[in-house]
Amino acid sequence: MSPLMSLSDLRVEFDTRHGRVTALSGISLDVMPGETLGIVGESGCGKSITALAMMGLIPNPPGHVTGGVIEFDGEDITRASNRRLRQLRGRDIAMIFQEPMTSLNPVFTVGDQIAEAILLHQDMSRAEADRQVIELLETVGIPEPEARAKSYPHQLSGGMRQRVMIAMAISCRPKLLIADEPTTALDVTVQAQIFDLMRDIQAKFGVAIVLITHDMGAIAEMTDRVAVMYAGRVIEQGTSDQILDTPLHPYTRGLIGCIPVLGRAAASTDRLPPLAEIPGVVPPLHLLGDGCAFAERCALADDHCRAVRPPLDDKGHPVACHHAGEIA
Amino acid sequence: MTKAVSPLGEAWGQFLRNKPAVAGLALLIVIVGFVLYGHFLFNADPYRIVWGPLTAPGEREGIPLGTDFLGRDIFVLLLKGGGPTMAVGLSAALLTVVIGIAMGALAGYFGGWVDDLLMRLTEFFQVLPALLFAMVLVTLFAPSLVTISFAIGIVSWPGTARLTRAEFLRIRELEYVTAARSIGAGNSRIIWKVILPNALPPLIVSAALTVGVAILFEAGLSFLGLGDPNTISWGQMIGQNRNFLLEAWWPVAIPGLAIFFTVFAVSLVGDGLNDAFNPKLRSR
Repeated sequence: MSPLMSLSDLRVEFDTRHGRVTALSGISLDVMPGETLGIVGESGCGKSITALAMMGLIPNPPGHVTGGVIEFDGEDITRASNRRLRQLRGRDIAMIFQEPMTSLNPVFTVGDQIAEAILLHQDMSRAEADRQVIELLETVGIPEPEARAKSYPHQLSGGMRQRVMIAMAISCRPKLLIADEPTTALDVTVQAQIFDLMRDIQAKFGVAIVLITHDMGAIAEMTDRVAVMYAGRVIEQGTSDQILDTPLHPYTRGLIGCIPVLGRAAASTDRLPPLAEIPGVVPPLHLLGDGCAFAERCALADDHCRAVRPPLDDKGHPVACHHAGEIA
Repeated sequence: MTKAVSPLGEAWGQFLRNKPAVAGLALLIVIVGFVLYGHFLFNADPYRIVWGPLTAPGEREGIPLGTDFLGRDIFVLLLKGGGPTMAVGLSAALLTVVIGIAMGALAGYFGGWVDDLLMRLTEFFQVLPALLFAMVLVTLFAPSLVTISFAIGIVSWPGTARLTRAEFLRIRELEYVTAARSIGAGNSRIIWKVILPNALPPLIVSAALTVGVAILFEAGLSFLGLGDPNTISWGQMIGQNRNFLLEAWWPVAIPGLAIFFTVFAVSLVGDGLNDAFNPKLRSR
């Protein structure tokens, strides 16, 4: 089967005060039809830029796609016209955002906004669109859809708003749904409901999902395959089981070590800290050197790591580390 | 469940709780009613000489506000002069808002060289002394209500353009704009249907205040003798009678008060709108 969305060697650069910095340096990713791909990483590692690139929405200026190919259904969208991109957005590729509080327009009712999304891509009357809005709101589990369609965003809770965003995103039955940290701003019980909803929708419409998150728990729960990103690169990639059970990159291990486990704190106060952490922060992009970007924070790092950037090699599954699999 | 209230509906509710604003609105309705009545229903020739010149108010029955320097009835002039005064105020404000919003929206949304170009143009118009420039325009194109409105609009749009630009710069970075793009909305849809409705509150306030400023502007031009000579306006009444101010105050003071109360009412309404749209300012 050919991939639905395929990034190959994608480079994205931004003009900043520090000159031109590389936000994505050669990302390659495939999303298969109907699957869920997770993209994990800390803030600033390039997750959201990857998502925007998939929609052809890199803000320009200051951003530039300087190399590589973004293929959607066999079509290179880095070369597509604006008109073609507008057709694809919303109809074939849709996105839901991190902040349901701010991703809906405050001056229109949610029904209006969903109808707008439908009418942009489908030739139908406003009345038909309104009927579809009610159906969509029902699909995403909003009670009293007729009344809710007439509500303004500020009258809905965060979880409800995210459901509205999902309704808008699936209004034209897209093939690919990009979810950029869809539950970060929601509380835990609502998070679980939103994930349930996304799974239902995937089962119902067969949509492929790209789930961008920094929550390894969400990865374990939702994804088929995972790409771990660090400082604008994919550093490890594999099936969710491979990544969670046999992580090879010290950074991935660190991330998995950060998953809080109920009861661990009480049982292991002497040996382990209650919550693990990865020391340090992602280095600023303009200060990246030649070596491994994670070397500064890595317990296994040696001079070789600091001098030579490790390539993404298959060592059981693709990983970019000279010391893949070694225990610190 | 609670009834859905639109943001505009909410602002209106807030406006109604603001006593000075409601008083201003009531005053404005009275003045507009007076002017509409005078313009459409009241039949009398304002140019007719009814009694001796500079008759004081109340001096003679049937001429409640006295006569001007030619002996014309000031009450009739006031009724007939309100329409052109308000027409100039409204059309100049409309022109200001249309040019200002178009310039500001394009500059703020597209940024880059579009912004540079439009903002330099805005600055060019901003540094010109407004009254002088308007006078030049009016004398160049022969004074009429249209050229006067045009001249006032041309000198007043930079403020609205800057305000619009600032709002667009702020709003275009918000997530719902990216979200609109992600469902396939194009630039013009995003500018007019996504950003502009969210930028409107301060623009409505500024438009309301512009009406008042434009009325004052028209009065100023007429006072200087640059009004439309074929149309009676409140400003023109002041201008024509100013030479007799030392002998008779009323032909100047009465239209002056009419202008004052109109602009005052408009400002109260504008301030009320401002408070209604800016919940943060309300507590102060």
